[in-house]
Amino acid sequence: MFGYLTADTGRMQKEERALYKAHYCGLCHILKEKYGKTGMAILSYDMTFLEMLLSDLSDSRTEEGMEKCVTHPVKAHRYIVSECTEYSADMQMLLAYYSAYDDANDGGSSQKAAKLEPFMKKLGSEYARQDEGVRKALLRIQEEERNGTKDPEFMARLSGEMISEIFVMDDRSFFADDLRALGFGLGRFIYLMDAWCDRKKDEKKEQYNPFGRDTSWEQAKDMLMDAASDAAAAFERLPLDQHVPILRNIIYSGIWMRTKREERSSDD
Amino acid sequence: MTDPYRVLGLSPGASDDEVKKAYKTLAKKYHPDVAGNSEEAARKMQEINAAYDQIINHKSDYSSYSGYSSSYSQYSQNQGYSEPIELRAAVSYINARRYREALNALSSIPPEKRSGRWYYLSSYAKAFSGDSQGALNDISAAIAKEPGNMTYLAFRERLMGRRSEYTMHTGTYSNSPAGICSSICLSMLFFRFCFCMI
Repeated sequence: MFGYLTADTGRMQKEERALYKAHYCGLCHILKEKYGKTGMAILSYDMTFLEMLLSDLSDSRTEEGMEKCVTHPVKAHRYIVSECTEYSADMQMLLAYYSAYDDANDGGSSQKAAKLEPFMKKLGSEYARQDEGVRKALLRIQEEERNGTKDPEFMARLSGEMISEIFVMDDRSFFADDLRALGFGLGRFIYLMDAWCDRKKDEKKEQYNPFGRDTSWEQAKDMLMDAASDAAAAFERLPLDQHVPILRNIIYSGIWMRTKREERSSDD
Repeated sequence: MTDPYRVLGLSPGASDDEVKKAYKTLAKKYHPDVAGNSEEAARKMQEINAAYDQIINHKSDYSSYSGYSSSYSQYSQNQGYSEPIELRAAVSYINARRYREALNALSSIPPEKRSGRWYYLSSYAKAFSGDSQGALNDISAAIAKEPGNMTYLAFRERLMGRRSEYTMHTGTYSNSPAGICSSICLSMLFFRFCFCMI
């Protein structure tokens, strides 16, 4: 269910794209440093968004470097890391683990979860609040799915709860509640978008989906808009001043990319 | 009332960027880990939050500082009515931006004793902790109980305005979402950046 907080790179300035990429590579750099190849394999845009958000908010000191890597072996590229990069990498691992755990629960392979599990002991104690937030909400989601709850908004709020604690790096800061609200809105959005895009596949495989068969795009869009507007309202209250164009691009355009790309082609 | 710019250590008319910078700096200075848990620090933090809200949100004509607190004192004076302790606690939590604790305080009042004001405060706390639907339901309940209350009506307007503000912003990216999903790019995301970027 990840990979939704991505940028609409076609509508970015060249410098913005370069900066976004450097932060993405920074996250990859730290994931590799902390978790090796397994870490690199779980890299996503979602936590790049979180890292750029948190590092702007905390004005944290950044470090830059150039390096070659497995995927770009020839030309060295720029990467930027901050104290928030490590946090975002850890949250990436936490989410990847629970995502793999959820997949295994849905009848998928349990290999990935088993592979990530060794990292969880340390993460669970270091980030008890986030770990509990994700775990509790995920268990609720699984329970409601088993009951076949057909209420997309309700399910989306559970997903909101799951993501919201992740966005709060420091529970005692001034911005904790706004960050939580932002994470909550985005968590709702991600769930709805994921469910909307999977509905036909789920129907074929007779798997759970919160949307009814007769839900129209207009109805789904209304829910998505509501979640996105909520996230945006919280986002705009935060005193951000460094990465605003990139973060806005993601919130107002990038998160819709999955429904935009094939706008002109026919459904399915 | 204190000038909100002065609270942030700025001169009146400072730019939004300066306001944000100052707010960030003060948020660090009065962080409980730095300033401790004293009442003085908490009060200062409230003042700074309210000043920031007032400057940044003044376009939407709302702030917990001017609008909120004054309507609160007016209310108690006009009604000659002392507010239940749970509601007063909720107001303090809201002013300190601790919305979840505000909702907790409110939930201890049984449903049959919930006034229009209770629904307003609940709507308010929900709106700022991510439950926009709950917020809309509660503000409608508040309006149903006190149909002529301007504060409630204005707050509902404000909640509805979020959506139009969002659509206005997305409009600048000039492409509208459609209900058709693409699976291609998403699976590529997991490979590497360069597929989509270059």
